[in-house]
Amino acid sequence: MANDYDIDATELLETYDFLMKYIIIGEAGTGKSCLLHQFTHNSFKEHSQHTIGVEFSSRTVKLGEKRIKLQLWDTAGQERFRSVTRSYYRGAAGAILVYDITSRASFLNLSRWLADARALGSPHLVTVLVGNKSDREEDREVEWAEASRWAAENDVHFLEASSLSGENVEAPFLLCARSILLAIESGALDPEKAGSGVSYGDRALRRVHSSSRLSFGSLSGGRRKGTVKLRLPLAGKTRCC
Amino acid sequence: MLTSPTSPPPKYQTSSPRPHNPLSIRLYKVLAANLDDDTTKEALHTLADLYAPSLLNDTKVKPQDRELKGDRERLNDIDDEDDDTKEDANTKLPAQSPALAETVPGEIAARARRNLKKDVESKLAESSRRFLTAFAEVDKQLDTLQEYIGAMRLRCDDAQSQLGETNEACKALLDRAGSLREQRQEISTRQSMVMVFLSRFTLTPEDVEAITSREVPVGKRFFNAMNKAERIRNDCRVLMAGEEGPTKAGLDIMSTTSGYLEEAYEKIFRWCSFAFREMGRDAQIDVSPAMREAVRRLRQRPELLTEALGTLSQTRQATLLNNFTTALTRGGPGGLPRPIELHAHDPLRYVGDMLAWVHQAIAAEREFLEGLFGARAEEGGRMVGAVRAYGGTEEEDWMSELMDTAVGGLCTPLMIRVQQTIRSQESSITAYKIANLLQFYMLTMQRTLGEEAALSKRLREMTDYAYKAFSDAVEAQGRSILGIHLDLDDLTLTPPFAILDHTQILREILTVYESSLGDESSLRGKSAKDVNEAAAQGCRAILDQMVDPAVEMCVLASEEKHRLRPSWDREIFIINVLTYLQSVLEPYSFTAEKRDVIQDLVAGRVVQLIEDHFTGLLVDTGLGEMVDAGKARQGDEPLSHLPAASSSRLQAALHKFSVWLTSNTVDYPPRLGQLSVQSLASRVHRAALARLVRTYKWLCEEVRNPENKYEAAATVLGSERPFGQVHLLWQIFGIDEEETGDDIVTDKTT
Repeated sequence: MANDYDIDATELLETYDFLMKYIIIGEAGTGKSCLLHQFTHNSFKEHSQHTIGVEFSSRTVKLGEKRIKLQLWDTAGQERFRSVTRSYYRGAAGAILVYDITSRASFLNLSRWLADARALGSPHLVTVLVGNKSDREEDREVEWAEASRWAAENDVHFLEASSLSGENVEAPFLLCARSILLAIESGALDPEKAGSGVSYGDRALRRVHSSSRLSFGSLSGGRRKGTVKLRLPLAGKTRCC
Repeated sequence: MLTSPTSPPPKYQTSSPRPHNPLSIRLYKVLAANLDDDTTKEALHTLADLYAPSLLNDTKVKPQDRELKGDRERLNDIDDEDDDTKEDANTKLPAQSPALAETVPGEIAARARRNLKKDVESKLAESSRRFLTAFAEVDKQLDTLQEYIGAMRLRCDDAQSQLGETNEACKALLDRAGSLREQRQEISTRQSMVMVFLSRFTLTPEDVEAITSREVPVGKRFFNAMNKAERIRNDCRVLMAGEEGPTKAGLDIMSTTSGYLEEAYEKIFRWCSFAFREMGRDAQIDVSPAMREAVRRLRQRPELLTEALGTLSQTRQATLLNNFTTALTRGGPGGLPRPIELHAHDPLRYVGDMLAWVHQAIAAEREFLEGLFGARAEEGGRMVGAVRAYGGTEEEDWMSELMDTAVGGLCTPLMIRVQQTIRSQESSITAYKIANLLQFYMLTMQRTLGEEAALSKRLREMTDYAYKAFSDAVEAQGRSILGIHLDLDDLTLTPPFAILDHTQILREILTVYESSLGDESSLRGKSAKDVNEAAAQGCRAILDQMVDPAVEMCVLASEEKHRLRPSWDREIFIINVLTYLQSVLEPYSFTAEKRDVIQDLVAGRVVQLIEDHFTGLLVDTGLGEMVDAGKARQGDEPLSHLPAASSSRLQAALHKFSVWLTSNTVDYPPRLGQLSVQSLASRVHRAALARLVRTYKWLCEEVRNPENKYEAAATVLGSERPFGQVHLLWQIFGIDEEETGDDIVTDKTT
């Protein structure tokens, strides 16, 4: 009896419908590892040191009716690791681009990071811009509106988060996953192909989808990128609150 | 006809013979009845009417009486015993109606009464006769009945006795039935016990089917059946451990269940092998709970598990290799991201991309295996950081083993490419960068796979190979600088181009080393001194290979050039080269050791230079002759008696010194101006000047010494600057007397 219970419990933890690879990038000290730690552990990582090279972690999230497993590659922001980290762009389905709202320099360098991501990553790479450390309003150096404009100009999603308080930490990951699912739904992305950064988890689902691309349940309904963009002001509201 | 409406119908007769009581009750009732009611009156009137017409109309009452009387008589006939009372009643009744016959004499009435009486009597007689005949018939019938009853009684007695006999006979049967019933009860109890036993100690056909049939998939039902079989075995073992020892039933149960269990394990094994072969082909794989449970159970049969996992590892190895090749040559869907080999011209990117791919594959593989062995549950299914603790558990061993095999297939293609890349590098810098990159990944893989994993070993080999290539390149560089000859026609004293090129390479190497991706995490938490020590340790060989040949070349080549071009200032050249090397090493804290070595060399050269410079100064100032004379004198001979130190010579030397003091060279000695480090030039100069002052001081003391027999010593000294005043000379040179000393010479700090 105990065994049966165990099976059920782990079943909840383990199975998933999709697997997606993310890469977390941005200048050193913007709080990438902390953001990720908050996302995977729901706690703030105290006395965090610079990441060396790349570090790996994973988490399964639920989006609509789909369970999505995220393989997260946390990269070092320091320049000297560029030669290592840039190799991890390939095969990533999503990129979380992080800057520090209290550091103008980290914001000004975003173009370079985005250019790298676009050049090295897959053409369908979904990028979400995250302004981290939103809890430190008094030290703010980058206005929300400015970052939002930059995001719109560069066609990336944007929101602000705090890895200290945990506010909005899950949102970028979910936003990214949603966009990727939509890309799959529209046929732009094929999880069957290797190197796309996405794959089916369940073999049964794979077979179903290879024959018909019907819907993702609650997600379907003709939503396109525009719908997601509507979220941007919403994200702003949460900041104001 | 005569019967009144109230009289009872003929059926009365059939019922009359038997009980008297109802009759008498009826009689009393009639007697007690009040005749004064309307219906009676009406009946009497009718009766009267019946008998009246033949008589007078006014006799209304009489028929009434007759009727009444008839009634009574009829009743009396039925009851013989009441005849007397009937007569009484008959006689009484006419007497009861004198009031009615008051107007008319009773003749008509009497006649009517008589008629009535006659009618009634005849009627009565008639009735009686009929009664008699009827009763005779009844009597006859009753006799027959009597006979029948008698016969019946006989039969009944007969039956009674037969029943008695039968009863007697049945008693034994009943007893038997009772005991049988008891037995049946007992047996059914036993049966239910046996059923309970069986249900507890044997598998139901469904369970057996779940275990043995190929139709039932490996899943919850199957595992439940297995659980049951195992529970039975455990229970049975407990039972057999009792005092009675193993029973036959117990042994049977054990052997049956063990057979089923073996079949179950076989089935799991087959299923796993099949699933592994199937799923192993996918790049990313999810582990179903049934699969995890199957693997967990199969651990009870290590030989089966080993075989199944062997299949898995082979499939995974082939899959990973295949995927790797695809990533190398075909890239992602539609060629994007581009194939890794497209960037083979960029060695760092090429090698980095391949290693990153391997790293990511390993992470995914690790996740898969953790899922397979259910090892993630205890970690909450999450993990940050590549460092893993090795608990040494069985699962960990399995996972390491499987990882090793699966990833091991990538070693060869990776190694070929990496080595090829390294071999084709001409630049030692690139080789060094590749080596650094390889080392970084080697450390990462060692943490993930363990040091003994094939890939870790291969990466170590590759790293060593890359370092060897780098080291070879550096060595070649060193050799090539050693073989360089200085341009004889170049009279400058600055470091030659060969050295500049060489140090440029060195500088780049050091920059790479400083930002190297080495095992930084292992140094975390250690003191700065340890970190520096480790850093210095790492680059010692590089510095030896790069700096030493440069120094050697500069010494040897300059010697040769000096031989051919004696005018060329070799000392200055060497010091310039050495200080230049120092300046190159300066920005890197970990080069302190090498810098110290060079500093020692420089210091030695500086001492030499000071000596040279001082000698030159002695010649320039003319004091040299006096010094030489002082050295040459023997015993207590007065200095002035020596020809070289005669008064005139002394005069000339002092004059020359005075002239020299006014010249430019006091401040800017032309030779030292060629030292590229100006502070060093001034240090050398000051040290030489200090010695010059001391020499002058010595000379003054010697001249003033009467034993040297100079005439008018004070005058001679006072005739030329600095007039024999040593402190004045200190001031002219701008040197603090106290600061002077040997420390100037040996001072290493610039």
